Amino acid sequence: MRRMELAESLHVDGYEEAVEMFYDRGWTDGLPVVLPTRKLVEAMVAASGRDAGESLGAIPPKNGEATIGKLAVNAVMGGCKPEHFPIVLAAFEAMMAPEHNLNGVTQTTHMCVSLTIVGGPIARKLNFNSRDGVFGNGYRSNGAVGRALRLALWNLGGAVPWATDMATMSHPGEYAFCIAEEQDDNPWEPLHVERGCAPGSDAVTVFACEGPHSVLCQGTPEEMLHVLTDSMSSLGNNNVHAGGQTLVVLNPLNAEEFARRGWSKKDVRDYLWENSRRTLADVKGCGIIHEGFRKAQVDVGRMHFRHNIDSPKATVPVTNRPEDIHIVVAGGRTYFAAVLPGWGSFGGYAVTRPIRTS
Amino acid sequence: MEIMIPVWEQTAAPQIARNDLKLLKDAEVALVDDNLDVAFTDQVELKLREAYGAIVKRLIKPLGSAPSPKSLLEEAATCRVAVVGIGL
Repeated sequence: MRRMELAESLHVDGYEEAVEMFYDRGWTDGLPVVLPTRKLVEAMVAASGRDAGESLGAIPPKNGEATIGKLAVNAVMGGCKPEHFPIVLAAFEAMMAPEHNLNGVTQTTHMCVSLTIVGGPIARKLNFNSRDGVFGNGYRSNGAVGRALRLALWNLGGAVPWATDMATMSHPGEYAFCIAEEQDDNPWEPLHVERGCAPGSDAVTVFACEGPHSVLCQGTPEEMLHVLTDSMSSLGNNNVHAGGQTLVVLNPLNAEEFARRGWSKKDVRDYLWENSRRTLADVKGCGIIHEGFRKAQVDVGRMHFRHNIDSPKATVPVTNRPEDIHIVVAGGRTYFAAVLPGWGSFGGYAVTRPIRTS
Repeated sequence: MEIMIPVWEQTAAPQIARNDLKLLKDAEVALVDDNLDVAFTDQVELKLREAYGAIVKRLIKPLGSAPSPKSLLEEAATCRVAVVGIGL
């Protein structure tokens, strides 16, 4: 490992002074941080098995280089232990993929934030939460990995509200937005395996989305699907107007009930795509900005399903293809599911990358 | 205690915008259209042509919210001036 240059550090006399320095210099997101001492940062870099100077690319919009060293500093600040660091790196590699359009996700007026979904045995090994309260607090791994990513976007990408991050509302996931998919209590293939990773492997998927919308989801498959399709096609979300991708989180009891009645994940996805729709009259009723949205996206070929639709009774799906509806199993065994609408066809698309542990 | 710095030090000096619009007369100007508000961009193009005498080459980004592709940047770089961002 290359020793980090002295120029990348400074000396501070006391703990309290150091904590306040991070606020004074704009190096934190509003919450205090774990102080990134050389010892902690070097342990983080060592855990990656990679050179501190290696770069994963320039983080938009301010294009600071995402070197392993700088990412390690931010991972320490977020509360990560060295064993978390390969997950942070995999998530960054995913966010930097062009289809995720991190530049746009960071700067849009929409509230989307990149959600990190950890899949594979590593989630249980590192005590990520994939069960009750999965989007909530209480678990270091979810919180620390999620916060490390946000701090790196803040410090290296310049994702700062009113400067480059123009989100009108945003959501609390700007502090940390990381869940794990339930591996054991899940009748279906997990998301990362569906997306090409080997069964039993570890991977992360990132997807830019709104915060979780609660869906009271119980009963027969048909009853669950009835409420899910309604929640997914709310006129307030971007998918109805601008396509793109969306995420549905079913709890393990929901998934078990579907599987027990013979529904595969593909069956559920296909049904959701066929039935999560709104009429053109509904869309037009939202006003002219939505029409402009639609036209702009049709013109660039990103919403071919909206082409040549003139009848007010015609219905349009929330995504162009069934595969653009992502389904994850997580949460407690109760009667609630969640829908997390995406940004639309502007980007934020799901990207999956393997977790490389040395 | 030694604290590692989480940011890169600012190295490049900020660019100062030139405000002499007479330079636009007969100059080839690349207008990078973000494809998000066509009507507004039409107005900007008209103003560049009629008020300032520019020769406008309009280059349309495939996706307004993503950075321009390299080919578009290279085409814009052949012009004397490039308008790379507009806003209401």
